[in-house]
Amino acid sequence: MLEVKDLKKKFGRKQVLKGVSFTAKKGEITCLIGINGVGKTTILNAIMRLTAINGGQILLNGESITKKSYEKITFIPDAITVMPHMKISEAMQFMDDFYDCWNEKRATELLDFFKLNANDRVSSLSKGNTAKVNLLLGLAMDVDYVLMDEPFSGIDMFSREKIAEVFTTHLIEDRGVIITTHEISDIEHLIDHVVLLDNGRVLKEFATEEVREQEGKSVVDVMREVYQA
Amino acid sequence: MKINVNKRDPVYVQVMRYFKEQIATGQLAPGEEIASRREIANQLKINPNTAQRAYKEMEELGLIFTEGNMPSRITMDETILTDVRKELVLEAVTEFIHSIQSIDVSLEEAVELVKENYNRKRAD
Amino acid sequence: MSNYLKLVNFELSRFMKLYVVMICFTIIMQITGVIVKSKSYMGLANEEMYKNMMSKTEFINQHGEFSFYWLTQSIWFMGPIALCGAALLFYMFLIWYRDWLGKNTFIYRLLMIPTARMNVYLAKATTIFLMVIGMVALQLALFPVEAVVMQWMVPVDFRLDLNILQTIFSLNFAAVLFPLTPTEFFLWYGAGAMSILVIFTAILFERSFRWKGILIGVVYIALSVGLLMLPVLIDEFFMYGYLYPIELVGITIVMGLLVTGMSLFTSHYLLNKKVTV
Repeated sequence: MLEVKDLKKKFGRKQVLKGVSFTAKKGEITCLIGINGVGKTTILNAIMRLTAINGGQILLNGESITKKSYEKITFIPDAITVMPHMKISEAMQFMDDFYDCWNEKRATELLDFFKLNANDRVSSLSKGNTAKVNLLLGLAMDVDYVLMDEPFSGIDMFSREKIAEVFTTHLIEDRGVIITTHEISDIEHLIDHVVLLDNGRVLKEFATEEVREQEGKSVVDVMREVYQA
Repeated sequence: MKINVNKRDPVYVQVMRYFKEQIATGQLAPGEEIASRREIANQLKINPNTAQRAYKEMEELGLIFTEGNMPSRITMDETILTDVRKELVLEAVTEFIHSIQSIDVSLEEAVELVKENYNRKRAD
Repeated sequence: MSNYLKLVNFELSRFMKLYVVMICFTIIMQITGVIVKSKSYMGLANEEMYKNMMSKTEFINQHGEFSFYWLTQSIWFMGPIALCGAALLFYMFLIWYRDWLGKNTFIYRLLMIPTARMNVYLAKATTIFLMVIGMVALQLALFPVEAVVMQWMVPVDFRLDLNILQTIFSLNFAAVLFPLTPTEFFLWYGAGAMSILVIFTAILFERSFRWKGILIGVVYIALSVGLLMLPVLIDEFFMYGYLYPIELVGITIVMGLLVTGMSLFTSHYLLNKKVTV
């Protein structure tokens, strides 16, 4: 279980996160939704200890995040995390060199799944394929939790479809996934758990199937209620 | 093989419905092996957890059964199979009644029109 | 292989292309320099001896024999050294900022490697240090080669052959770059290593606090320099030269170690608690 408790963050005088709490479970896809840009990426950065926080706590299975946690939880940011002049195969080698949890077999499978060529240089790839390389590097690790920042933003429709397809396969099965997005149409029927954020706070946290079953509402219905209230 | 996911009904319920339709139309025979949870998730483009949930519910309802490590199979229990069919028919009829009532059509008129159109539609 | 060594290897290979260019540039410039300088010297000699009827001895008395000194004072020799020095100084900043800025945000990966973040930091520092040592070694290796070229170009009567030590002494900055005793080696290169850590710490201040961080970084550098100078200043102004030079050196070394320790400690804290991608 990944718990975010009362997370606070200031940028200068601006309080970006005003006490954000939520829980993500293993085997579930949790979606952080916010209409405005601020905050979501910061939450993921804070979980991974990539930015200083001004308060709160982050616990992975009850323990705080340390260097060892990077074998258990990984982050796929909305940016290239390898050096652009690297070939995909070199980037994979880099991962293999530093991570015990790197799973070469799964990496090869992902190359095939995304139809990527290991000899291509990362800098020569389209935006969609760059995003796929990022996903490949994250998903080929045998980690329990995967954080993804806006995996669908700014890329073509077919790449989006392919990336959404990842969520329907064993590549994601059994893991805990936290995904941020401002546009959920690509994955609405795929997510298990939703955290609606606005203005640095959690406005509502719910299980998608429960809301459908008990209230007959879609995720977008709930968003409309919450954000337009 | 794909289902058009409706955003306001639970996805697992929609998966179950998909199976019920397959059973009712005989596309899945009694005792027939069905795809694994992982395969069905991939085929229907749904989250594997949801597939898992649907299978669990179907198992509880006796629609499918699993022996040991074998793939799950469609039940061979006649009563359950008949019930599935009845349920689907009843559901469709209920919906139909709801529609014609909402536009104020009498039963006689509706039945007449059903008879008139049923065979033509089938011939198409 | 430990993560630290893997990272050093990785950082070295990232800079290797540019480094090889720097090495080639230095070699070409300096050898060309030897040829150009020898030619112009011999041209001068010919002119003086044939046009102005000067004797060989007179010429040598007036212009001096050709030695490394002619070369080391020229742009051909100093140019590449200054350029490489500047490049390495620049790379001290680039080695961090290239991971943050622009499209390639490799810093995400570096900070998420399941190893102590100090390994990333120390690998970067080691890389800079090794690059400097490498350039110095290259220069040392180049001297004999340049001496041979000189021997081809200038007849023995006009030449003053210097051995490596003499060559080194002909350079103004020799004492620092090419220390002759182990003590000097440790002193100068220790100071070099310390400077790298101080600058890295300042960079991390900037990366942690951005604009405010620049100010803190500058203050940090000033503080470090101040601490190092403190013993000398106190001795000069308050004790009026009471300490022996060796004592002063000793105390300065202690201050240097203190600054090094302080930089390591601060960097460790910033990397783990404050740094932002």
